[in-house]
Amino acid sequence: MIWRWPLARPGSLRWRVLMATLTGLTASMLLAGWLLSSLFKEHVTRQFRSELTIHLDQLAARLSVGPQGQPVMDSAGLTDPRWQRPLSGRYWQVDERRAQPTQAGARIGVLRSRSLWDGTLELPPDVVADGSVHTHTISGPAGQPLLVVERSVHTAEQTQTVWTLIVAADFHESEQALQSFNGMLTAALGAMITLLTLSAVAQVWVALSPMRALEEEAAAVSNGSQQRLTRTYPSEVQPLVSHLNAALDAQAEHLSRAKTQAGNLAHALKTPLAVMQHAADHALTDADASVPPVAQALAQTVSQQVELARKQVDWHLRRAQAAARAGLGKTSCSLWPSLASMVRVMGRVHADRRIRFDLPEPVSPPLAVEADEQDLHEMLGNLLDNACKWTTTCVSIKLEITDAHATVLVEDDGPGIPPSLRRDMLMRGVRLDESAPGSGLGLAIVNDLAHLYNGSLVLGSSSAGGLSAVLTLRRLSQPSDGVPTVGA
Amino acid sequence: MRVLLVEDEPTLNRQLDMALQQAGYSVDVSVNGQDAWALGDTEPFDAVVLDLGLPQMDGLTVLRRWRSSGRHMPVLILTARDNWHDKVTGIDAGADDYLTKPFHTAELLARLRGLIRRSSGLSSPVLSCGPVQLDTRSGLVTLDGQSINLTSHEFKVLAYLMHHPGAVVSRTELTEHIYAQDSDRDSNTIEVFVGRLRKKLGASHIETVRGLGYRLVAPS
Repeated sequence: MIWRWPLARPGSLRWRVLMATLTGLTASMLLAGWLLSSLFKEHVTRQFRSELTIHLDQLAARLSVGPQGQPVMDSAGLTDPRWQRPLSGRYWQVDERRAQPTQAGARIGVLRSRSLWDGTLELPPDVVADGSVHTHTISGPAGQPLLVVERSVHTAEQTQTVWTLIVAADFHESEQALQSFNGMLTAALGAMITLLTLSAVAQVWVALSPMRALEEEAAAVSNGSQQRLTRTYPSEVQPLVSHLNAALDAQAEHLSRAKTQAGNLAHALKTPLAVMQHAADHALTDADASVPPVAQALAQTVSQQVELARKQVDWHLRRAQAAARAGLGKTSCSLWPSLASMVRVMGRVHADRRIRFDLPEPVSPPLAVEADEQDLHEMLGNLLDNACKWTTTCVSIKLEITDAHATVLVEDDGPGIPPSLRRDMLMRGVRLDESAPGSGLGLAIVNDLAHLYNGSLVLGSSSAGGLSAVLTLRRLSQPSDGVPTVGA
Repeated sequence: MRVLLVEDEPTLNRQLDMALQQAGYSVDVSVNGQDAWALGDTEPFDAVVLDLGLPQMDGLTVLRRWRSSGRHMPVLILTARDNWHDKVTGIDAGADDYLTKPFHTAELLARLRGLIRRSSGLSSPVLSCGPVQLDTRSGLVTLDGQSINLTSHEFKVLAYLMHHPGAVVSRTELTEHIYAQDSDRDSNTIEVFVGRLRKKLGASHIETVRGLGYRLVAPS
């Protein structure tokens, strides 16, 4: 299992899910914070106002009108020392207003608490109906914020004069409490966001773990170490896996049909070619020389064209088959068993030559290379066949393995190829010596297939003076042919 | 030497049949896998030329069945599928050699000769027994370097004996290996062919082992 940081790059599924979760979470927390803060503020304000209203009622009960019609406050019963201490933050005041706001004669601060000292409370001019209580927020004499409640008081005798009783208190402490609450609320919500974010990351990590498993399996299919998706996935992902497997099966079936059709095409073309070749051979080697010269020339042409047609068919069929296989993505194959199989075939095909094959010891663990098994057979077969055709006594095969590549070195003790002609040997149909049987396609096919699998073929001189062919292919971690051990 | 030719394409079958007979082989032909399997499973052949793409039963199945039932005659596979993977499959199924279409008749005959020779434990294409030599490539028989003219049947008898030097070969065995299945077989004619060979090569080259058959020996 490959561990990856859960916050993937922007645009990924992981990123989208996390961003959507975080956005919703943050918005919800902000809304919750605003609501809680507002409710708390409302509650504190209501409590404060309620307390002031009680004081207002007490003061109203102690307010009376003197003989000259002036207001008189019985302050003896006001026990709260803050009414007396200057600028204590707790104030009361009585204003005189006219029944009509446009009438002259209104006075502010007709009576006021001692705590106001020389100052007065300046309230916005408004008309307070009987029995109603108005609330204001103003700046106090010491600059502190004040919550103010006021109500009107009037007597039946003084119809043109309205007394406004005002009680104010410092709201600063309540605001501090509110700020403290907001601070704690912010910290709590922040912690909650953090925890929920971590929880969301964990959920995304767990929820997307099947996708990571799917990615690993898809990579294994892509690099050829397995043919299908084999694990069991959650019900939400399993239909996708089933469709992918169906597509892989269909592609494999398509390849199989293509290979069969290619084989059938080869058979359909080559059998008539064999008939023509045989007829031409018969005409050219007729013992009693009854075949006229014109017919012999015709037979010669037929023989040449049959050989040319065979080359073309072989070349294009191999290319088509290899391209079809390569289209399926990376495939891998165990190298040593294929090598051993090809040496066994060479021993039969070139039995008359009594060639000695120096084959390396089996490789353990199995050495897998990036190549389809058929193409690997084709590459090794052509290399070994070419070496067998030209060698005198021995064909030597060596394996060189690095972390990334596997190299097959095939050497013979034949005449070799001059350096200037080696590049030409990798071109289609080039033969340096017509005396040995062959099409001139073998090394070119190996070269083409090697490049198809991101490998290479290099020709050189062997230590015995013959040709050395170095085939390099990429290593893969595990063969897709399921060969458990080498040398089987 | 008796060869089974299995090829479903009529023209190629006829051409190969003719070429093999001209090369001195007794040829049985089959055009489908089922008949080929039955023939190869019951008749003694010195070699088989087997096409892979056959009706009724494919060539590889025929070959595997022969091998699993202990039939070990050399088999040359003839097929249009020219890739090494198929060759591996063919060789692993029990084939001894592989020839892809189209091919030259001479190459087919050369490979067939090599197969038959190697199955008898012989390496040289020129078979020798004392002064008698048989060049399998040209079909030329010489005695002390002088060419000897042999009829087709005389050649077949001598070729079979020279592929089994020192072994006692019964008349029945000789009959089975020089006549194709559809031929008018008469084991008595073997005595006639052996008699003619003794006249041409010298009586001492072919011994009669009473009650058992004949043995090719190099005269001391």
